[in-house]
Amino acid sequence: MTQVALRNLLARKARTLLTSLAVVLGVMMVTGTYVLTDTIDQSFSQIFEQGNAGIDAVVTSRETVDTNDGQEPSFDAGIFDRVDAVEGVDEASGGIFDPQVSILDKEGEPIGGHGAPSFGASVGPDRFDALTYAEGRKPAGDDEVVIDKQTAGKAGYAVGDRIRVAGKEDAKEYELVGVATLGDVDSFGGASITLLTLDEARRVTRKQGRFDQISVAAAPGVTSEELTRRLKQELPRSVEAQTGSENTQTQKDDVGEFISILKTALLIFSGVSLFVAAFLIFNTFSITVAQRTREFSMLRTIGASRRQLVRTVMVEAAVIGLLASVLGLLAGIGFAPAINALFGALEIDLPSQGSVVATRTIVLAFVLGIGLTVLASLIPALRITRVAPITGLREGAVLETPKSHRLRTVLAAGLTAIGVVAMLLGVFGALSPGELWVGVGAVAVFIGVALLSPRLVGPMASLVGRPVERFRGVSGRLARENAVRNPGRTASTAAALMIGLALVSFVAIFAAGLRNSTTAAFDKTIKADLILTNDDGFSDISAGVNRAVAELDGVEVASPGRFAQANTAGDKGGYLTLVDTQTVGSVMTLDWEQGDDSVLTGLGRADAVIDEKWGREKGLEVGERFKTQTSSGKTLTYTVRGSFVDRADFNGDFVASDVTAAAYGEPNSVSQVLLTLEEGADTGAVREDIDALVKDRYPTVDTKTKVEYKDFISEQVNQLLGVVYALLALAVIVSLFGIVNTLALSIHERTRELGLLRAVGMSRRQVRRVIRYEAVITALIGAVLGSVLGVLFALIMSRPLADEGFTLSIPVLTLIALLVLALVAGVIAAIGPARRASRLDVLDALAYE
Amino acid sequence: MDSTSPQSIVSATDVHRRFGEGDAAVHALDGISVDFPRGRFTAIMGPSGSGKSTLMHVLAGLDRPTSGSVLVDGVEISDLDDKQLTELRRDKVGFVFQFFNLLPVLTAEENIRLPLSIAGRKADPDLMAKLVEAVNLGDRLSHRPAELSGGQQQRVAVARALISQPAVVFADEPTGNLDSTTSEEVLALLRRAVDELGQTVVMVTHDANAAAIADRVLVLVDGKIVRDAEAGSAERVHDLLKQDTVS
Repeated sequence: MTQVALRNLLARKARTLLTSLAVVLGVMMVTGTYVLTDTIDQSFSQIFEQGNAGIDAVVTSRETVDTNDGQEPSFDAGIFDRVDAVEGVDEASGGIFDPQVSILDKEGEPIGGHGAPSFGASVGPDRFDALTYAEGRKPAGDDEVVIDKQTAGKAGYAVGDRIRVAGKEDAKEYELVGVATLGDVDSFGGASITLLTLDEARRVTRKQGRFDQISVAAAPGVTSEELTRRLKQELPRSVEAQTGSENTQTQKDDVGEFISILKTALLIFSGVSLFVAAFLIFNTFSITVAQRTREFSMLRTIGASRRQLVRTVMVEAAVIGLLASVLGLLAGIGFAPAINALFGALEIDLPSQGSVVATRTIVLAFVLGIGLTVLASLIPALRITRVAPITGLREGAVLETPKSHRLRTVLAAGLTAIGVVAMLLGVFGALSPGELWVGVGAVAVFIGVALLSPRLVGPMASLVGRPVERFRGVSGRLARENAVRNPGRTASTAAALMIGLALVSFVAIFAAGLRNSTTAAFDKTIKADLILTNDDGFSDISAGVNRAVAELDGVEVASPGRFAQANTAGDKGGYLTLVDTQTVGSVMTLDWEQGDDSVLTGLGRADAVIDEKWGREKGLEVGERFKTQTSSGKTLTYTVRGSFVDRADFNGDFVASDVTAAAYGEPNSVSQVLLTLEEGADTGAVREDIDALVKDRYPTVDTKTKVEYKDFISEQVNQLLGVVYALLALAVIVSLFGIVNTLALSIHERTRELGLLRAVGMSRRQVRRVIRYEAVITALIGAVLGSVLGVLFALIMSRPLADEGFTLSIPVLTLIALLVLALVAGVIAAIGPARRASRLDVLDALAYE
Repeated sequence: MDSTSPQSIVSATDVHRRFGEGDAAVHALDGISVDFPRGRFTAIMGPSGSGKSTLMHVLAGLDRPTSGSVLVDGVEISDLDDKQLTELRRDKVGFVFQFFNLLPVLTAEENIRLPLSIAGRKADPDLMAKLVEAVNLGDRLSHRPAELSGGQQQRVAVARALISQPAVVFADEPTGNLDSTTSEEVLALLRRAVDELGQTVVMVTHDANAAAIADRVLVLVDGKIVRDAEAGSAERVHDLLKQDTVS
């Protein structure tokens, strides 16, 4: 019987391949994700291991706040003497390693820097130097610099060139004396490295008299563990000592967190594709099992048991799954760089050299590919047990499609309702983890609607089919009738498309809402005329910028703002905003719940105004106190003076005065500068002055008007949206294969009927048209259902945000575009099947048995 | 071929088969009692809707009688469950269909062996050789059904029914889809099975020429057996039928 299964697959190679293709794409995405993240992981490991080669122990400041920018506070250089005095230290060297020192290109713009750190480091003794000088030598003087080979290549710099570098101080010109790689690793992803002498590195980063790290080598006979133990004993609590390999591990763990977020996100999209693929497998097997009813009943009459028939189909499924796994695995290895390129488009550059194919990836590809296919074909296979042996004795026997029972409808409606409830409970946090329950709920809704949809196919086919019928006459009529002939089949084909399109429209609607509420909140709170930030939108800029622009003609007020992270009231790494109370009143206001602008301008060093939502969470009332631990290890106590609504979460948990900025570790840098202009000042002229000043001294700074800033936010949302669409596109493509497959199978089934139509005078063109309209009707049903579900999901997901002013706006144009897209997709999916149907030989088709 | 009943391989006693309920009920079989002795070739005839196919289905355990008893090779089949019926079909019954029903993906030879593959048994080499010779496909034995003519396909189907040495072979209009020459070849093959292998064959047909090859002809009208006679020649079978349509 296994032989029968295998022969069946071989005899229908095209169908086997087409069926497996859906699974191939899903498996491809999963393996692509793992190959990519493993490769990135390994590349980072290489970088860190190279970086710590030759180092027995590392002293850094103790990290108290887990910040997202990787910025760790520096520590006093006095620590060095205490390190050097520890017994067993052969050599110690203090250095600077700062993530915000930009290399400028020939136009004066910072190179890269979009999210990837641009490191500025001090040159150290040879034994600790991880760099390999591909050309030239180490920097020896204060006007000499070495940069990494990748950045040099990007900017077209060669040894001997004069290049500019900008940190916290004004940009300065250096002579490029060398180009370096890290061991044999050429690329650090998008990161750049600038190597300066210690004094110069300290000046550029404003870390005079401080170190970011001290590298230590052990004397002969002292192990690095022993050395580290002694260092820990001798050094104060403000710094920590790690062995070289511990330090490597810490660094790996840090990027590991990011990589695992990336992995999870990609796996969710892979899951969507696999889910859609499961629908298609289910559909294809349902159809083929129905078409082979006669064969199965014949096997029953000659003595095959139900179990044997089910097993035959399962073997077919397993083989298709196996094929899909192999193809998916191979495709995934090729796909990994494509995903990486996609992130490149988002300006997230990640190092990935070679491809790491872990055993786990291979095993997973096979488990998923085979498991999913077998599981999805289980129900169709079990349907065989209903084939009565007697059906084989009748001509043209087809397995009766199960009537849509009332019970089934009730169950489907129930499942949909449960799904919606699960999603709601998930978003409101009644069930945790919320994300999981939202996902489970969404899957339940999809399955529920898919089960309900056979009932919807009739009316919906009329709805979308009538116009076609009106304009195209008999072709349209036949297409519509064909679509409703087997509602279950049309429904599940459409359902596959529905899933992808529901997610696309949900994301579109949600993103539009997010964009609108963010810009609305921005309009409401920001009074400034101009906003100065880092080019990348989130890195720090020099505090000097504020002083410099404040003195320009036409500028009324320049007010610095700092976004910091601290451990507040039990939260790890919560965000907060530090403002200059003298000037803040002119540039921004808050959406006050309790208090008014005078509270903001009157904030003392121990006062804070809090986000009312966060305050509710923490049970904080006006007049009460809370504690926060800063990245420098200091603990500050604030008294609540007021509360505000923060719709777009601009300000974090609380706003306080910046007189304590030093305690947060970065007195010399700010996150943004907000400007108002004097009455009657020429905005264009002032801006030109600012741009000229900035270009010369602070090239990493970017000036934006309010409108430009809002556009910038929209642009970032759109970019992210683009990547999400690209990832969801795969699920939509998978479902298109489903339409192709269903059409091909239906045509096969209706060969005789098509022959008859041709015999009574229907042209090839008309036959093609019938098939095409059927595909379009199916696709449109999927698109309409998908859009409706997308709106529903957006409604559900935005519920908890509603009281924060999240206003849902339905992007009608996007939804219409989606319908048109589905229409086009239907036409494309029909090309192959329609051609095949139109080429059927009339006589053969009629003689077909 | 173990048999507990020496006279008849298949016997039906007062079998009724009703479709539908109440006023709309159709009595497809209306109190049929009949025995099929071992090693005999019986043709069941009758006009469309006479119940001849239903009778065959009930005798073969494909359909359950509304009342009455059916014994196949000594086993009362009207109260067997699905598993037991599967075993019955596997071990005791062979089928030949009007539309051949060969698996398109298997070769002719593989199709012949199929019932044994399903049962997980090996073919008796002597029987296989005999069947291969009788089917007379020559070198086309390794061809797929699509490459064979209708007559050749039906001969393969007959061999498939015989390979498991069933107690009885049921043939449902085996010549219904064939021309007269190929029909004769297929009928001859069934005849040889009875004469040389001692096979019991029950064949439903509406073709008098086909029925003439049988030993015995049953004529059904409205769910009742109205004639039960020796077959003889085709003319005689025609006469048997005529009497019924007149009456």
